[in-house]
Order: sequence, then C-alpha cells, then structure tokens
Amino acid sequence: MRPQLHILAIVLVLGTIARAQAVSIQLDSGAFRVTGWQAPATPPAAGWVSVFSLYAGTADAPAMLGNYSVDGGTLVFRPRYPLAAGVKYRAVFRQPGRTPIERSFDGPTRAAAPATRVERVYPSADVLASNTLRLYVYFSAPVSRGEVAARLHILDGTGKELKDVLLPGQELWDPNNQRLTMTFDPGRIKRGLESNSKMGPPIAEGQRYTLVIDRGWPDAQGVPLASDYHKEFRGGPPVRVPPTPKQWKVTPPRAGTSAPLVVEFGRSMNYPLLQRMLQVAGPGGRVDGTIAVEGNETSWRFTPRMPWTAGAYQLMVDTDLEDASGNRIDQPFDIDVFEKVTEHLTTRTINVPFNIR
Amino acid sequence: MQLRFLVRAAIALCATTMIALLVLSVYRPVDAAAVLSAGKADLKSAGALTFGPDGVLFVGDSIGGAIVALDTNDKTPVKTAAINVQGLDQKIAGLVGVMPDQILINDVAVNPISKNVYVSAARGRGPDAMPLVVKVEPSGKVTPLSLDNIPHASVALVDAPNNDPAARQNPRTTTITDMEFINGNLLVTGMSNEEWNSALRSIPYPFNSAAKGTQLQIWHASHGRFETQAPVRTFVPYKLGGESYVLAAYTCTPLVKIPMSALKPGAQVKGVTIADLGSGNQPLDMVPYTKDGHEFILIANTTYGVVKLHADTLATDKPIDSPTVVDVAGAPYDKISSLTNVRHLAQVDDGHALVVSATPGNTNLQTIALP
Repeated sequence: MRPQLHILAIVLVLGTIARAQAVSIQLDSGAFRVTGWQAPATPPAAGWVSVFSLYAGTADAPAMLGNYSVDGGTLVFRPRYPLAAGVKYRAVFRQPGRTPIERSFDGPTRAAAPATRVERVYPSADVLASNTLRLYVYFSAPVSRGEVAARLHILDGTGKELKDVLLPGQELWDPNNQRLTMTFDPGRIKRGLESNSKMGPPIAEGQRYTLVIDRGWPDAQGVPLASDYHKEFRGGPPVRVPPTPKQWKVTPPRAGTSAPLVVEFGRSMNYPLLQRMLQVAGPGGRVDGTIAVEGNETSWRFTPRMPWTAGAYQLMVDTDLEDASGNRIDQPFDIDVFEKVTEHLTTRTINVPFNIR
Repeated sequence: MQLRFLVRAAIALCATTMIALLVLSVYRPVDAAAVLSAGKADLKSAGALTFGPDGVLFVGDSIGGAIVALDTNDKTPVKTAAINVQGLDQKIAGLVGVMPDQILINDVAVNPISKNVYVSAARGRGPDAMPLVVKVEPSGKVTPLSLDNIPHASVALVDAPNNDPAARQNPRTTTITDMEFINGNLLVTGMSNEEWNSALRSIPYPFNSAAKGTQLQIWHASHGRFETQAPVRTFVPYKLGGESYVLAAYTCTPLVKIPMSALKPGAQVKGVTIADLGSGNQPLDMVPYTKDGHEFILIANTTYGVVKLHADTLATDKPIDSPTVVDVAGAPYDKISSLTNVRHLAQVDDGHALVVSATPGNTNLQTIALP
C-alpha cells in the first residue's frame, strides 16, 4: 500500500505543479486573460483586483482601472482605457501561499522614423512689426501639447534665449494639434502698461531674432520631429493705424474668366482670419471659390469655382478681421474711443463694392 | 347639520391642502442635479471647472466647444477637510494606464458641499487625448468619474463658421479660461486661437438648448484710454461696499473690477483697473477671503508666485489710471514666498485654500490655512 500512496502523492504533486506551471497570462484584443486557472464564478471578498491586476510602467503605481469578468472559467480583465504606445504593462496574478505570476506586455508600437516637421510659421515675413500680436506654427502632422516651454525658443541676435517675449503658460491649439497659436506678451505691446514701460515691446525695432523649434518636440505618436526649425527675423516699426478697407487695392478680374480677384492690404494680415473673414457676393449671391494668401499675408486672391459674370460685386469684410498686430478693421489694438466703439459694435461687416465687366 | 359640517370641513381641508401644495411647489428648492439625464457625457476635453449647486460640476470643453454639467452625486456635507496628495499625476497615470508625462492637469475645483476635490486632466498630449474628471478624497483616494454613464447636460458655445468645407475640422477653438456660477448663471470667459476679440458669456442654468447664452462686451479703463476686448484669464465674484462685482484679470493688463449690475445682455461695460501685478506676469487663480476682520485676495501668478492682495479699501482705492502711478496707486500686496510652483488655487472654506503645485513629473495637492 505504501508504495502506491507514494506514487499517488507524487502524481498529485506533479499534477499540481503542472497545473501551476500551466497558468499563464495572455493579452488578446486588448483584454488580459489568466489561462490555466479555473476562476470561481464569484470574486473573492477583496475583489478580483486582489487576484489579478495590471500596472502601467515600473514605478509604484496603483492598479489600472478596468472591468473583470469570468468567461468560460477564464478570468478576463479589460482595461477601461486603451493601451498606450511606449508603455510597458505588468500583469500580476496572485494566489494565497504561492509566488505571484508576472508577465510584461508592451503597448502598441510607435512609428519608427521621425517624419513630422514644422511646415510654416505666420507672420511669414522676415521683418515683424514690433507690436506683432500672434505667432502661428503649422506642423505637418499632429503633435503633443504642453511642450512650448521646453521646445519653442526665441533668441536674440547673440543667440541668447529671451524668456518674456510670449504670453506665459498659454498654448492655444486647433482641435487636431497641428496648429499652435502663441501670443506675444500683450502687456508689453500695449502702450502705457507697466510691462511696456519697464520692458519695452517684445520685439525691438532693428534687432535680430531667431525663432527656434527644437526637434525634441514629440509628435502625437511620441516620435520627435524630423528636424529643428529656424526662422530668422528682424524687428520692424510698430503698426498702430488700423486697417481700412477703403484703402485696399481691389483688382477685379474680367467677366467670363476664372482669374482671381486680388485684394492688396498694404500690410501683413492675420493669416487664419483671412481664411474666413472675407467673402465675395455678386449678382447671384455669395460666390464660391478658393482662397490663396500671398506676399507675406499682404495679398488675398479669390478664385471662383465658376467663371465671373459681369455685374456689381461686394467684398464683404468682417470687422473682426485683424492685421498681424491685432488692429481690427477701423479699430487699433490699444487705443479706443468709447463713442466710436458703439459705432463699431453695430457694424459687423463692411462692404467694399467693385464691378466686373 | 352634520352633513353641512362635514362638507365645510372637507372644503376647508381641500383648500388648506391646495394652499399647502401651492406653497410647497413655489418654495421647494429645485435640485440642480435633478434636471440632468443619465447617459454618455460626450466630452472632447476637460478644462476649466466650477461647482454649481447640489454637487453639479461644470466642465469646460474647449475642444468640443461646449460646457457640460455633471452630477457628481457627491452631496454629503462636510464642514472642512484637509487634503495632502503627493504625485497626483503619477496616481492618475497608473489608474488610466499611461506614463505620468502623458497626464496634463488642467484645473481643479473643490466641491463646496463634500469638500472633495475634482481635477480635470487629459490622458495623452495628442489630438486623441481622452478627457478625465477625477475625484480626490481627503483619504487620498483618486477615482476618475465614469463619463460613459453619468447624469449630465451640455450647452454648445457658439463658434465661428468654417468657411472651408474641405477642411476636416474647423481650426478655430475658444479655450475656456475660467467659469463661475453666480445667481443662476454660468459666467464664462474664453480666448480664441485666432481673433483677439473675446467676450464674457453668461449662460443660464438649467441649460436651455434654445438660449446659447448672452455675450457681454467688457471694457476697462486703461491709462486714460479705453481698451479693446482683451481676453480674461481668470475672474472671481466679489462684494465691495455691499455691491457685487467681478474681479477680472485680463491677459494683457492688471486686475480690474466690474460691477455685476452692469453685466446685462448686449451691454458695453467699463471696468476700473485696481492693481498691477507686475510685468511679464499672468494671474492664474484668485481666492478672496476674510481674516482677522480684514479682506484679502490670494492670487497665484505665472511668474511672480503667490501674492496676498490687501482688499479692505478696494472699493475706494485710487484706480490706476496712468502708467506713472503704478507704484503708488492700486491695492497693496505681499508676496507669499512659502508657496512655490503653484499652478492652481481653489477655496475650500472660509479659512483654507487648496493649492496645486507642480514640478515636472510631480503634481501635488495640499490644503493650506489662508495666510
């Protein structure tokens, strides 16, 4: 009898070991499964998290949130949030009196080669008015937020970084994270304020500057940019007089052609606003067409979808249109007379008539 | 006789009941959370936060161009509570399965009833970042709210038309810079990523889909001239000499007081500059309070740290109306040098504030006694 018992004991022990060794953790379609272990139908008193938990990274982090279920005797954990690229996930299966079983998983893989770059920056001119208000940076693909302080620099002519040029802590983005809007410190632009009197304008007339965006800026996939970006510019005189549509040069094309209508402003305008604050209306109502902005944002070209027909037209100007220095139509950035404001607020658009013959 | 008595008694009872019902229906306080319906709160981002009544939390969704009211169902009154949570970003990152550098903390609000802290954040830094609204309890327990099924309501902010139908998305956004719930209205300030012109918006609550809110044009005196509509970075309701004001910090200029009575639909309001908080600086958050019979406003700044503004004479202080009087006019203030790297402030109770401080990779929450 005794030898038979020994054999039985050995078989049982080996069986248990085999079963314990067979327990493994699998990742399948975003769900983590404990295979080789028969999960009871109901969770233990301390919850399934006491048996099986997932951790992001290697630091001492709390267990990830998610839903547990028992699927055909297999314990399954589905994270509440999708797995993220660049993160190592650690799954731990615990049973009383046994060494925990751990397995690491990598989040989805990232694109290997840096490809995202800075495509263009507005204002695009080499000379920027000393009261330039906004800076637009267009990236070729979505990038990460929260990087401006570390990755966007403005250097003076000697290469020294200038810290107080842009409004601190204010990154503004389009919904796709491809266009960044930064604001030059308006307290330094507006005449008479303490910042302006003590520090002068953010851009000094005659001085040389370089905008540097360093390639360490991670794109939306966490991959650095393909290259650094440099834009050299010089400080020009301030632009204090507001843009006045009456003074713009409007060159109408000839009837029967699809040549562009050209509007020249005589100054650099705010690039994104030129995409939506000028419209053309003719005898048949609003004219559909495409917009091109040229000459360092001094010129707007409107090409109609259908050839022009002869008649009286209007260039409809939204009075919120700004030049590159934040001066609105007939209203400068930093001087305002209250009575005139009332007048301005009641006028939402100004029409500039022209004829096509 | 008996029948007549019974009829009279019945009529009297009915009348009394009807009057009582009428009175109760008139005076029963409306639960602000009861008007919310359960379902998925479709937030594209979670930014500015402020509490309304009955545990209703307003969340500014700058990317979605909306404000969402959430029922936190967190209404157990607590007089005061202290919180000290170190490494909040690391804790949130662990719960939602990313590295701490992928958590951007946007704002914080204290539930005035339960004193629990609510934090808005983004999981990720790209356009697919997921919005998070996280509850932090005094015990240190951190719980992201489940936004998939929560009583909520939302109101869209009127946005600029997109003239290019070929564009995938309208590139224009208004970043909601601050919100406050005052007298049944949500006051909202914002900053466009395109035009400089910005308005303060007043939205009645409960939200009515037909009423998108009223836009007000705010102006303030600046050195003898009138200023254009600069965006407001942060603001707070404040009583001065028995009258209600909004104290607003503009992006380009110092602190301004605006009488609440002037904030009427379509109004052009003139504010008065009352303090200059230093060049190259932006106020982030303000907490008004009274201590030892004196009034103060604790202000967190981007560059100048935390300052305590002496507000006793704010109603009568000589306004700053010329650059030459910057150092001699306006309200005086002290720098609180013990508070460093402060990103947000929120009022906890009459004597305490919540401070959010952050260094790269480490965000901490701490309750402090108001200085």
